[in-house]
Amino acid sequence: MNISFLLFALLNPLFALLAAPLYMALIRKVKAYAQGRRGPKLFQVYYDLRKLMQKEAVYSPTSSWIMRFTPYLNLSTLLVCSLFVPLVFVPEPAGGLGNIIVFLYLLALERFFTALGGLDAGSAFGGMGSSRSMSLAAVIEPTMVISFAALAFVLKSLNLHQMFALTAGTVLPISPTLVLVSISLFIILIVETGRLPVDNPATHLELTMINEAMILEQTGKNLALLELAHALKQFLLMGILINTILPVGLSTEIDAGKIAVSALLFLLKAGLLAIIIGLFESALAKMRLFRLPAFYVMAFFFSALTILIEVFA
Amino acid sequence: MDIKINKDATDLLSMVSSIAGEEPELLNARENEIYLKVSETGFKDISPSLAERKFSLIGLFCAEDFEKKEGFTLFYVFKQAGRAPALVLVREAVRGKKVTSVAEIFPSASWFEREVRDGFGLDFTGAFDTRRLFLHECYPEGFHPLQKAFKNGPIRPTETSGREYKFRQVKGEGVYQIPVGPVHAGIIEPGHFRFSVIGEPIFSLEIRLFYKHRGIEKLVEGKKPSECVALAEAVSGDESMANATGFCMAVEQVCGINIPERAERLRAIMLELERTYSLLGDLAGMAVDVGFALVASPFFMLREEVLRQNEKLTGSRFLRGMTIPGGLKKDVPDSLLKDLPAFLEKFSRAFESAYDRAISSSSLIDRFATTGIIKKELVSPLNLTGPLARASGYPADTRLDRPYGAYRDFAPEPSVRKRGDVLSRFEVKADEIRASAGLILRLAENFQQGPVFAESAEYDGYAGQSSGEISGSGATGYSLALVEAPRGQNLHWIYLKNGLVDRYKIRTASFCNWQAIEHAVIGNIVPDFPLINKSLNLSYAGTDL
Repeated sequence: MNISFLLFALLNPLFALLAAPLYMALIRKVKAYAQGRRGPKLFQVYYDLRKLMQKEAVYSPTSSWIMRFTPYLNLSTLLVCSLFVPLVFVPEPAGGLGNIIVFLYLLALERFFTALGGLDAGSAFGGMGSSRSMSLAAVIEPTMVISFAALAFVLKSLNLHQMFALTAGTVLPISPTLVLVSISLFIILIVETGRLPVDNPATHLELTMINEAMILEQTGKNLALLELAHALKQFLLMGILINTILPVGLSTEIDAGKIAVSALLFLLKAGLLAIIIGLFESALAKMRLFRLPAFYVMAFFFSALTILIEVFA
Repeated sequence: MDIKINKDATDLLSMVSSIAGEEPELLNARENEIYLKVSETGFKDISPSLAERKFSLIGLFCAEDFEKKEGFTLFYVFKQAGRAPALVLVREAVRGKKVTSVAEIFPSASWFEREVRDGFGLDFTGAFDTRRLFLHECYPEGFHPLQKAFKNGPIRPTETSGREYKFRQVKGEGVYQIPVGPVHAGIIEPGHFRFSVIGEPIFSLEIRLFYKHRGIEKLVEGKKPSECVALAEAVSGDESMANATGFCMAVEQVCGINIPERAERLRAIMLELERTYSLLGDLAGMAVDVGFALVASPFFMLREEVLRQNEKLTGSRFLRGMTIPGGLKKDVPDSLLKDLPAFLEKFSRAFESAYDRAISSSSLIDRFATTGIIKKELVSPLNLTGPLARASGYPADTRLDRPYGAYRDFAPEPSVRKRGDVLSRFEVKADEIRASAGLILRLAENFQQGPVFAESAEYDGYAGQSSGEISGSGATGYSLALVEAPRGQNLHWIYLKNGLVDRYKIRTASFCNWQAIEHAVIGNIVPDFPLINKSLNLSYAGTDL
């Protein structure tokens, strides 16, 4: 434990928590513009969270402690995750923090409890969403492992902090293979956050839902926590992608000026990525459920290719 | 009775007499509709032969104390695709006695018979399904609101325990049931869908509707025809114009009113405007249901343009309050009609670019093609009509088969596809929007000035007033009108007694088309259901009167 780490542990999660919902809103805004609408204003997402926080939670009579526990667990898991992805500056390595295997397991924990929460309310849709989410997870999880393995191969570390300490300060990616890994990471970002063409976050059609179906029965404060956790997850995955492909400006020193520039630049880069995601979502129809593995295989392919190149080149 | 009938109808008549082995009593006939009274044995002989000759049962309804007869009278409306005349077999039923069902011969009869049973308390023997239809279990036993003895008023719902609706049971290893609705995650109308699935593929679907019964057929009883137009318009929002026209046509036929040409043309223009905005909503909805908002939004914008055009022309976005028996309530100024060609030209250009964007997207085609196939063999037995029948290779269109109003001179361009999947329905609906735009253009040309409301002289003794009121004292008679609404053929039958509505039956296209969905989804996966549902775009309100 040192000052650098304490400061990081304070700043990084706070920054992520505050900024994350903004990018949910930004993607929505981009999609609205693509459709010729104006869309709700950017800060509406914060007002909605505040509104939900003030509402009471309603529980189905069949639900157990899982439904009450899941929102808190998810948000705390994601807050721990936010210690793994340096956004404002890269701290000196401390303990197991930053380890990608732990990071993947934390995400798995969150997914597991979301699925349990979906089953817990006893509604048909929660169960359906959970079953779909779990079957798709069986395909996407190995893909994620391979993708992060590829990242580890290229950046010669299992620790995200060390990886990004390596990329920080460069303008362009340090290795061309990182472009391939970034394609995989982009697909993982789309899949993990339940965006088109995998899942439609804007739909009201319960029969087509995956992510939304699992939180369909959640209300009030619990729903706000889950949405915040979801936004955080998206923000962190965006962070990994940005630090991989466009690390310019990421600070490795504790300096108020540099940290401010680093944070500001990150907001801008995330804004750019959000616009890309919004346009990507607009340009595609949702895929047929059974064709989704074909989409994941693309991520798998680029990561496997990276590993082959790194091993044999 | 001196009855004039055309050649098609004469042929039909001789055909029926030859198969019945008796001379059925001709009750009434008009151009394209013949009412034959048949005996019980005659009916038993005729109905299978009609099925063999590819007649569809397009309507079955009941009236009580019809033409001073005690008890119930059943009307079976048959029609052959592509032929104009409708054959109505009139069958009498004694109160408290059962009648034989024809559901085994004409599957479309099943819902009709259940509807008659709920409304009138008339039981059918030999029916394969005798569950309640529009009156759910919360209505008391023995409550049959369409009987004349029942006076309209509030009733108290009863306890349903022990009398619950029995859904089909599908059992087997790995078979699960998914109950969906009637309350949904979005703001849509209520309907219950009971899926039996093995994993994601759908094995069986059973639908249950009628959660918001409004009692429209009871409400119109004893009212003046002009008071009922608003109720006909309320049957289903985006078919307001079609239903108002159907109702008015039926009244006009009973009263022998010929409406002026200008009114006929304006009605046709409004009917086509309604078709256009309604189908645009379908195209947009189908894109929305596959999450493709970029494709959906231009269709939504065009729909809004048409609705605004409607408001400019008539003062109502949904073309309400214009139609009245005898013509139109008010004229549309020529200056506004002159703007239509320019509007349509701009519309067509925007529509084509929106359509190209949709149809050039491989991800959209991938979702639409081979999804939710409706086989052609189902069309006639279930009496499926409209774009969904035409997308399954069945070229029936009331405007062409049995032209009414201005369609006698202005025929729409037909559009047919063979595959019967969601993509075919998308293409047919797009074609029909183009055809409607073309038709409006032709209708709006060379418009003659003139009245839009029938002169009183034409009324055969019923005084018409320029205020748009038929104050007929004593018009008695019945007539059938078929109109092609955006969703398909709507049937309107009216029985006027002394100038007041004694019985009004509306059967919208959705009533029959809903039953197609149970067949269309089999073998598809659950997440494709909303898309299939949207491609059929069935009206809940139009089914639940």
